[in-house]
Amino acid sequence: MENINLALTLLIAGFVIVFLVLVVLIIVITLYGKIIQSAQKAASKKHGETDKPAIRSVTREEIEEYDSDEIPEEIIAVIAAAVDSLYGSKPHKIKNVKRSRSVRSSWGNAGIAENTRPF
Amino acid sequence: MDIFDKLGEIIVNLYNSSGLASLDWQNYVMIVIAFVLMFLAIKKQYEPLLLLPIAFGMMLVNIFPGIMGNPSTQLMTLEQLQAANLDPSSYTTSMLDGITYYNVTENGGLFYYLYQGVHLGIFPPLIFLGIGAMTDFGPLIANPKSFLLGAAAQIGIFITFIGATFLNFAPKEAGSIAIIGGADGPTAIFVTSQLSPELLGPIAVAAYSYMALVPIIQPPIMKLLTTKKERSIVMEQLRPVSKLEKILFPIVVVVLVAILLPDAAPLVGMLMLGNLFKESGVVDRIAKTAQNELMNIVTIFLGVTVGATAKGTLFLTPKTLGIIALGLIAFCFGTACGVLFGKIMCWATHGKVNPLIGSAGVSAVPMAARISQKVGQEENPANFLLMHAMGPNVAGVIGSAVAAGVLISVLK
Repeated sequence: MENINLALTLLIAGFVIVFLVLVVLIIVITLYGKIIQSAQKAASKKHGETDKPAIRSVTREEIEEYDSDEIPEEIIAVIAAAVDSLYGSKPHKIKNVKRSRSVRSSWGNAGIAENTRPF
Repeated sequence: MDIFDKLGEIIVNLYNSSGLASLDWQNYVMIVIAFVLMFLAIKKQYEPLLLLPIAFGMMLVNIFPGIMGNPSTQLMTLEQLQAANLDPSSYTTSMLDGITYYNVTENGGLFYYLYQGVHLGIFPPLIFLGIGAMTDFGPLIANPKSFLLGAAAQIGIFITFIGATFLNFAPKEAGSIAIIGGADGPTAIFVTSQLSPELLGPIAVAAYSYMALVPIIQPPIMKLLTTKKERSIVMEQLRPVSKLEKILFPIVVVVLVAILLPDAAPLVGMLMLGNLFKESGVVDRIAKTAQNELMNIVTIFLGVTVGATAKGTLFLTPKTLGIIALGLIAFCFGTACGVLFGKIMCWATHGKVNPLIGSAGVSAVPMAARISQKVGQEENPANFLLMHAMGPNVAGVIGSAVAAGVLISVLK
């Protein structure tokens, strides 16, 4: 009987404590998320419109000016998105997208990467 | 004739020292179970990183039980020592009935020493360090309400505690059995090493086996508790999470959890340390070591030694089978509670939450989230629930560590 009482107490206490701790975490994370988001929005407003990611300003003509290779627009969009996710809210602008002309084969590059990786 | 006598003696000695003479039927049953687990790991690829070392350790210990043998001390007189060509100055002495004995120690088996990391509760926090370094808490930060699903899936732990108590398990044993419902192997080992170390073997094997068998256990429960319409719900894309939020997250979580529930600090602390390594971006080498080399080494040691606790003669007992059965019930309850809470959230948000992500609230990262994705995509091939399910999934890791802290603080 004593053990059953302990089990029921633990069920209620465990349920309440686990939820309580996680609810506290929800509140804290939501709050600091909002604070950081609003601070970052304010900072990006300060930089003005010109500092917006330049994904839309890149046109095929602009790219072809630098590189005659045909790069599909989807690839350019992916590269622009990757650059944007890397720089985030920092002001940045993509001026051109060029296909790299590596003199080494993929195997050569893999070998160099393997041997020069920090340990 | 003498040659034949000698040959016969050698063959008899060889037979006596072999497994054929010393193994019981239980050992052979466990060897067959180990083969089945190896098949599931290799052919079906059910969590092979865990299941393969567990199954191999299980097979090895049942063929050669001495590999888990404890170190022993034999008392020898000076004459016996000299007869064995041993140097008396290398041994400490004990006096019994006026006779001096030399304490000749014999080393334990290889797995005995590796197992100390499990026994002393060292490996689970190290595994958590690696998990933290591999985990992206972004989905959870983007949608902190996921924490509720991670908490709901822990209810199975406390319900199973009642079941185990009804079956006359002592409270500490019941706590260790119930934690299997968290579907988190390291947490289960940590709690059991604190509460009832004698049950480490069956509990660890049950916890890891159920984690590996998530693809078999969860889908029927998920389908049973949800309608086709609910399973087809497409969720809105999560907001992007900034680097600063990701860096602050592990610090905030560890400060709050360690203050509120200090018993959960070793697990949550190491989980968040690993995550801070990753998110800070300034200790790339350490983060990579935690994610790869350290994690792999600890996984090998943990896997083979957990498997090696499953000696047939100790394992195939009614008590152990009861633990395995209760563990399965705990796991099913955890999944069901997660899905049911997902349904409540679905109702509360007017259909914006797909209840399938609730089952990911049991830890088993990332397998449980992958199951949510898979079951969701069976209904609607254009539905991508993976990132949404990762929120409850990583919340489940934190939730099960908190539940572990509750069990330890109440029962220890």
